[in-house]
Amino acid sequence: MSNADDRHAQRRDTDGLERYDIDTAPGDEYLGDTEVGSGLRGYVIGLGLATLLTIASFWLLGTNLIWAPGIPVALVVLAIAQMGVHLVFFLHITTGPDNTNNALALAFGVLIVVLVIGGSIWIMANLDHNLMPMNAIMNMNR
Amino acid sequence: MLGKLSWDVIPFDQPLPMIASAVVALAILGVLAWVFLAGHFPYLWREWITSVDHKRIGVMYTLLALLMLLRGFSDAVMMRSQQALAFQAPGYLPPDHFNQVFSAHGTIMIFFGAMPFVIGLMNLVVPLQLGVRDVAFPTLNSVSFWLTATGALLVNISLVIGEFARTGWLPYPPLSETAYSPGVGVDYYLWAVQISGVGTLLTGINFVTTILKMRAPGMSYLRMSMFCWTSLAASLLIVAAFPILTATLAMLTLDRYFGFHFFTNEAGGNMLMFVNLIWAWGHPEVYILVLPAFGIFSEVISTFSSKPLFGYRSMVAATLFICIVSFMVWLHHFFTMGAGADVNAAFGIATSIIAVGTGVKIYNWMFTMYGGRIRFATPMLWSLGFMVTFVIGGMTGVLLAVPPADFLLHNSLFLVAHFHNVIIGGVLFGAFAGYTYWFPKAFGFRLHEGWGKLAFWLTLIGFYVTFVPLYAVGLLGMTRRMQHFDVSAWYPWVLAAGVGMLITTAGVVAQIVQLVVSIRQRAALRDATGDPWDGRSLEWATPSPPPVFNFAALPHVEGEEPYWSIKQRAREQNRLRDEPDYEPIEMPRNSPTGFICAFFATVMGFALIWHIWWMVALGALGALATFVVFAWRDIPEYVIPAAEVARIDRANRSARREALVTYTGPRP
Repeated sequence: MSNADDRHAQRRDTDGLERYDIDTAPGDEYLGDTEVGSGLRGYVIGLGLATLLTIASFWLLGTNLIWAPGIPVALVVLAIAQMGVHLVFFLHITTGPDNTNNALALAFGVLIVVLVIGGSIWIMANLDHNLMPMNAIMNMNR
Repeated sequence: MLGKLSWDVIPFDQPLPMIASAVVALAILGVLAWVFLAGHFPYLWREWITSVDHKRIGVMYTLLALLMLLRGFSDAVMMRSQQALAFQAPGYLPPDHFNQVFSAHGTIMIFFGAMPFVIGLMNLVVPLQLGVRDVAFPTLNSVSFWLTATGALLVNISLVIGEFARTGWLPYPPLSETAYSPGVGVDYYLWAVQISGVGTLLTGINFVTTILKMRAPGMSYLRMSMFCWTSLAASLLIVAAFPILTATLAMLTLDRYFGFHFFTNEAGGNMLMFVNLIWAWGHPEVYILVLPAFGIFSEVISTFSSKPLFGYRSMVAATLFICIVSFMVWLHHFFTMGAGADVNAAFGIATSIIAVGTGVKIYNWMFTMYGGRIRFATPMLWSLGFMVTFVIGGMTGVLLAVPPADFLLHNSLFLVAHFHNVIIGGVLFGAFAGYTYWFPKAFGFRLHEGWGKLAFWLTLIGFYVTFVPLYAVGLLGMTRRMQHFDVSAWYPWVLAAGVGMLITTAGVVAQIVQLVVSIRQRAALRDATGDPWDGRSLEWATPSPPPVFNFAALPHVEGEEPYWSIKQRAREQNRLRDEPDYEPIEMPRNSPTGFICAFFATVMGFALIWHIWWMVALGALGALATFVVFAWRDIPEYVIPAAEVARIDRANRSARREALVTYTGPRP
């Protein structure tokens, strides 16, 4: 579309940096005048952190570093950290003003997933609520 | 070679479906023969079938919806007449057939009537109101439409080849599992809904992207029209909810095709999980339908009251509130499934709270009308009919949201009356309001007012005469989906509902006559300026029908109601805006990708239903190859020269100048 360029109109923020007026899609990166190197550095850091977290979760199992029943919790923490690394370094979800839509979309998605999965677990666990407990039925038959 | 397919699957022994399908087949063949013999096919192929223009796609969506509404309505006529005849008698529809009719009625009305109607109007109007040239992904839009058409086609094929589901419009297990539904009926349902569901999901993504990323210069979020806001909310709900439907139906498909145990009673399956998941999609779905309708009413009421929308920001807030809370109420569809008081009360309260958002909107519409110069044109009549009808439906809904009351009314005709009250009174009236309101924008001439008003009154009266008796007979204990009954106390109410159906049928006929009469009198009903209703949002700044590029120069938006301020300035200064500098415009080229993709999807869906595995592979490969060919295209766009843009725009400007000179209304 011919008008695509005027929507990329630049503006200068109070910090003196030039930013682009519309936000970027996940994966989009406007390199502009900056060198390719800084973009690449982000991916390398992300890859390093992701690898580290993956190795850590396998390594944890073989050590006595964490109290044995706490290991599932530790794995969940590492998994969430892994998600965070992916979001920040690979999907470029940041808190910057050019990223409002992406952050909102992520929040909306997380909210819906929590509602549907949490709600389903709650509902399904509650379904036999109006039934007599099993041992009461057994006692009745005696 | 042909899987389960053989000559036995065509119901030669049942005269009713055979005659009906023979008539439909003859009509389709007749139309096709006329198209080819009269040489219209190249035009249809070039300008419509391969079109990626959002307006054309919107028109095709609406046309599909109107056809499917007729199909679903004929099912409704059959059900009501069967019940009117089946008091202590077998009636004329055997139980097996009756079950297919009510299942097909629900499936067709929701998936192929209401959804395409709403999405069609979104397609036609949203890019125009945003002040842009097209949606974000035009070819994907065409794919969406043709996949929806594929689903509709598969459902209708089931009329002749095989059978349709007997399970109701949501195929609850265990009835829908192979043990109890061994035929292909449920498979027809599954693949038709899955394929059209992909189309709907793509539409949702397309419109979220369009509205968030492609607004005209200066069109900030809080300057968007109400219809754009509600379309955004509905698209967000599509993106969030349709994957749940796809996953749930995929699990049922695995149960049926590969002997999985997601929803069976043995081997760790849980059929109640299906009910839970399908309604986690199903409740947002009703708001996907009704939110755009709310947007249409906002546009119509504001335009015909000649006033800005009252409480615009509270409308936006109410829309987003409904968008979120619609994901917190789904259990109210199965209060009786066994959950305890904690769960039922929580979802009951959430259900009552969601009505607050709609209440805010109703008051805003009333205050919009208050003190306005109201014109009672057909779209406004549909809107007023909606306000009264929807409030009644909403109140019976709040009643049903009380779990103890729901335990008595669950699965009764009271429930049936309630959801028809909100879906007909909300979605269908909204779609008809939008249809009469935006028809001149799409085709360049208005619909006939007299026939439109007659259709409105017949439909409104027919609706009440049909469904008020169903409320009553539901309270008397009559359950839904009864093929025959023996209780004499119910009989008068069922007969009354049958009379209501006759009145509604007259309303449907009036709608068809309206279309025919309007096409014949199109010269007299011509909309020369592009602004037939004294409108306020940007779609009325374009000619009717708009050129493929919509706007000769993209409008610069300086406030709410952008077109109203442009028009007021013109009336004040008694002259139009200065002519813009015309520039060549690049537009996406038409592409047969959508049609070919859908052709292969139809082949694949049909083959999956009948277990013809080589044909499944063929269809899948064909669809993939179509996508690859499209991805490797060399020339995605073409250029409309500046002279052509100027010619089209100048023609519209001269019509508008003439209208401005002869304008006699109030001036600012």
